[in-house]
Amino acid sequence: MFTFLASNFALESLEKFIGSMGFTAIFANMQWGNLAMICIAFFLLWLAIKKQYEPMLLMTIAFGMLLTNLPGAGLFHESLFAGGHVHWGEFVKQNPGLLDYLYLGVKLGIYPCLIFVGVGAMTDFGPLIANPKSFLLGAAAQAGIFITFLAAFALGFTPEQAGSIGIIGGADGPTAIFLTSKLAPELLGPIAVAAYSYMALVPVIQPPIMRALTTKKERMIKMNTLRTVSKTERIVFPIVLASIISLLLPDAAPLIGSLMLGNLMKECGVVDRLSKTVQNELMNIVVIFLGLTVGATATADTFLSPATLKILLMGIVAFGIGSACGVLLAKFMNLFAKEGNKINPLIGSAGVSAVPMAARVSQKEGQRENPSNFLLMHAMGPNVAGVVGSAVAAGILLSFLG
Amino acid sequence: MIWTTIICIALVFFVLVLMVFVMKLFGMVFTHEHEHKLPKTADKPVSAGLLHEEEIAAITAALKLYKSALHDRESEVLTILSIKRAYSPWNSKIHGLTRMPERK
Repeated sequence: MFTFLASNFALESLEKFIGSMGFTAIFANMQWGNLAMICIAFFLLWLAIKKQYEPMLLMTIAFGMLLTNLPGAGLFHESLFAGGHVHWGEFVKQNPGLLDYLYLGVKLGIYPCLIFVGVGAMTDFGPLIANPKSFLLGAAAQAGIFITFLAAFALGFTPEQAGSIGIIGGADGPTAIFLTSKLAPELLGPIAVAAYSYMALVPVIQPPIMRALTTKKERMIKMNTLRTVSKTERIVFPIVLASIISLLLPDAAPLIGSLMLGNLMKECGVVDRLSKTVQNELMNIVVIFLGLTVGATATADTFLSPATLKILLMGIVAFGIGSACGVLLAKFMNLFAKEGNKINPLIGSAGVSAVPMAARVSQKEGQRENPSNFLLMHAMGPNVAGVVGSAVAAGILLSFLG
Repeated sequence: MIWTTIICIALVFFVLVLMVFVMKLFGMVFTHEHEHKLPKTADKPVSAGLLHEEEIAAITAALKLYKSALHDRESEVLTILSIKRAYSPWNSKIHGLTRMPERK
């Protein structure tokens, strides 16, 4: 009798165990969407590991994508964040997964800001302080965001979704994630993948645009050496910038405030330990959490839709327009500049954040025409102005559409 | 929606153009201060037969570079970095070894 009951219990347990397996869920419910997403995750892992396309983030995003699409794993529940809100009550009722808890950092806008603290601590604003005109190039490169915003709206996206798609043109991952998590969290997966993929493709996307819009003579322009920036200027700059922009645009305050806090830590020279921590340990930890949880939002239901294809397409358009506008404004500024004080238009494309990749592209393109031309430091000005510009653009979109 | 877009672009430009002016002002103040702080060496009279202090600095720097280039030998002294750890019972030999039985 006992043997019979025991064997019956063992069989039931085994049946229950097999029923709870992800493999059973795949084949029983024919979850082909999940299978397709797992394949996409494998492809992105290949891109990150083999091709080294932004591996720091793409690898973790792809792994998050893989984990969330494994049936039965229950690591992430979209229902907890349905409608763009955190359903705190459901956190108690349901059995949340690990990624649900970690995703709160994205949803509450914590991770992008912490990354910005690290970015600020790693950025040298010296070239921007020495040549404030770079701010204009940084502003022009943000035109891609707004033109794409209009295009996305015309294609049938809601204004909030269109704003989130447009911000891809800022070529700034944390800003794109910050804005999308506030305006259109349902598009977080595709937008993050698009933003980081295109940032990795800067050396492929930008050079043809730069060459098409400039003449050989313009590409050979040598720029004057930048003036030396004193330590006091470097210390006062983040304090002044954070105060002015936060007072003008309170919605941009979290991003700009974090960026400038990190920069102040670096420049003041009295909190060396904090500066090193935010540049390394904190940044790395947040990158892991951010990548995993952003990847986790890319479920089959949200990712496998025609909208994703449109987002990927419009992202590249936004990026291209941003780069082109930067180059064109530099050419326009040259119309009024005195001889010997001209700007090499190649540095204009660096206005689309993507620090420091975009500046390196300007340097490389400049040296193709004139090997003795060193544009890197000149391009770093618009490049860091682009980071400020995209944060400002995100703040404006948030205040208009949020 | 077009008007919203135009206003948004205009606002981005407004904020960043404002920053250009702020930074220009900022630069003017700091470069002005910096110029004031610089010692006016050019105004100092140079007596006949005496070298200007900038020339002395250049010659000294050149001599230093020349001398350091002559001797490229290592000091041949190996330094062993000794690490002193504070006492802790966790790494104590006394506590780690079995005590020999005492003969009574």
